[in-house]
Amino acid sequence: MIFSEVYGAYYNIMADILKIAVRRPPSQEEINAIISEKGFAETNLFFNADLYENRYKLMTGDGRTPVKKAPTMPLTTAQKRWLKAISLDPRFSLFDITIEGIEDVKPLFTPDMAEVFDKYADGDPYEDDFYREHFAMVLTALREEKSIDLHMVSGKGKKRHHVLTPMRLEYSEKDDKFRVIGQEGRNVLTVNIARILEASLVPQEVRIDKEPYLDKQEVTLMLYDTRKALDRVLLHFAHFEKEAVHLGGKRYKITLRYFPDDETEILIRLMSFGSLIRVVSPEPLKAELKKRVDRQHDLLSL
Amino acid sequence: MAFNELIKNFANIRDYMREFYVYGFKSREDFTSKSLRSYDDSRRRIESWLSDHMSFSFTPDGKNVFISVDSRSCGSNPLFKAWKSRSFTDGDIALHFILMDILSEDKELTLKEILEEADTYNGMFEEGRVFDISTVRKKLNEYVDLGIVISRKEGRNTYYKRGKEYELPAREVLRFFSEISPCGVLGSFIEDKYDRSHKGIEDTLSFKHHYITSTIDSEILYTILDAMGDKCEVDITSVNHRRQETFTDTIIPLKLKMSAQSGRQYIMCFSIKSEKMVAYRVDYIVDAAKGEAVSYYDEVKCKFASMEEHIWGVSIPHAMEHVMFEICYGKYEEYIRDRLIREKRCGTVTLVREGVLRFEADVYDSTELVPWIRTFIGRITALEFSNKGVERRFREDLLRMYEMYSEEEAK
Repeated sequence: MIFSEVYGAYYNIMADILKIAVRRPPSQEEINAIISEKGFAETNLFFNADLYENRYKLMTGDGRTPVKKAPTMPLTTAQKRWLKAISLDPRFSLFDITIEGIEDVKPLFTPDMAEVFDKYADGDPYEDDFYREHFAMVLTALREEKSIDLHMVSGKGKKRHHVLTPMRLEYSEKDDKFRVIGQEGRNVLTVNIARILEASLVPQEVRIDKEPYLDKQEVTLMLYDTRKALDRVLLHFAHFEKEAVHLGGKRYKITLRYFPDDETEILIRLMSFGSLIRVVSPEPLKAELKKRVDRQHDLLSL
Repeated sequence: MAFNELIKNFANIRDYMREFYVYGFKSREDFTSKSLRSYDDSRRRIESWLSDHMSFSFTPDGKNVFISVDSRSCGSNPLFKAWKSRSFTDGDIALHFILMDILSEDKELTLKEILEEADTYNGMFEEGRVFDISTVRKKLNEYVDLGIVISRKEGRNTYYKRGKEYELPAREVLRFFSEISPCGVLGSFIEDKYDRSHKGIEDTLSFKHHYITSTIDSEILYTILDAMGDKCEVDITSVNHRRQETFTDTIIPLKLKMSAQSGRQYIMCFSIKSEKMVAYRVDYIVDAAKGEAVSYYDEVKCKFASMEEHIWGVSIPHAMEHVMFEICYGKYEEYIRDRLIREKRCGTVTLVREGVLRFEADVYDSTELVPWIRTFIGRITALEFSNKGVERRFREDLLRMYEMYSEEEAK
């Protein structure tokens, strides 16, 4: 149902080439650009050879095709069922769209069939009118490259005012929250959309080039593989840029790279593994971990 | 046989993708269950699909290949590419574009009419491709199953026409739900329909705490969700990694539970073989086939719903266990109180006295709470499990941590 050639990169490449060929012969540069965008690293080698040898019999050597219309393919049943399923998600209505024609389609899943069981309980209020208005404003600012003049309440309960130019809209499945990452002057700020009290679009367009992310830091851990520790740790930290080295026997060294603003979260997540892992660097993170462990030792008189 | 970056069977590559992405420390010689040729070809394919995300390291054991992706900096799941690598024959691709072209007029055609029309596509070529009637019929039936062609029988004739066209949702909608929804690769396939020049704000989306591996289980998951929606059984074959063997079961699938903190997906189900509620990890399932409809499905689902409030994660042993712990926090540390409340999935939180909170819950498996309780290390003032073995192990582990970091300092 899912692993089918009709969804494949080669079919998509062929469709894009034929879209040009039904009007005029495509140039080699155009073919290469399509392959480079939709194919894999070695596709140029294989697909171009197939085209050159005329194996598919869809385009002649001089770029003519017997295909009459620009190729399109209707949605498959699986695609329609997936679209119907996402249309039932409470977050779908934030994007203010409707999908016409799927009324009678059976959804692949409904919200009660699939749930994230360990997300936090204070997720964003998707039904709240103010929240929805602010979410829509962030989308508009991103589309039209505009800034937002906003008043918000900080995590510590203080009121703040910012003129923010959004660069990214970030979603966390664990927190079930949307955050807008943007620039104010030279500073990069992260604002939880649910914390915005009042906002308006600044009419002028603004162009920003800077990437919002800072340099990463590294944490190095030692792990002795008992109680499926290796499987658990590597799966848990799978979404980080990382490297694992087998040191021999059951010993492993794991290096994770993270953004500095996530340091407290990293510390908490490392603590959840208890003695299965030992943090060896960086020194400040290790010192903070040791401080907490020492305090715990005293609190429970271990 | 010459190397080809496309593959016929996804199951073979699924294991390699997981090994390279999740683990990434194995050298060529460690892949003992497959031949070295199979390893070399699979590694080259994955490198071709995911070239931007492949890394290498050299250790005394040899060269290690791994996939290193920071999913926060990567707006679209790179592993989707693997699903777009299905091999095909020259005839398959030719017939696909010819059939879609012939059926692009909004009218019904018989097999004979389609075949006659297909022959006209050969004129431009010295050696044209001739399709026989059974090949065309087979391909049309395959497309009817996929839903891109609709067939209708009238008398002795079958008529074929294209499936209905839809207006595509905006790219950012497809991108967002592709990343966060089950079987999200289907959304990525839809996004591929967009013209290259049609750019929206999809690249401004990013995802934190985002696990991308589950996409490689999409085919299995599709079968299970399809069966769940139709209240049907599923015959599964799964791997028991501890015993290094596979086993089969017939299950009544009840709910898909996904973890935002480990990326794992579980099917909560009733096992017909063991006659009890169980949770199966989706990434361990190697085969799934939809079975018969279950007449008593709603009863089983109802029973599961009554158990859900006492399941912390996914584990459902028999007896209920009690867990209690207390934490302390300072005057300006209300965020600790807020964290306890927002992170608890069941149970109650009560104020014992100013600056001390108590959490209590009755759960099926208290070991599932242990990692979470550890995140409060440095603040736990009281601790009591009805399962004394779990409590003892928890305390021993804390002591081991204390000794581990104290020893290191002493060195």
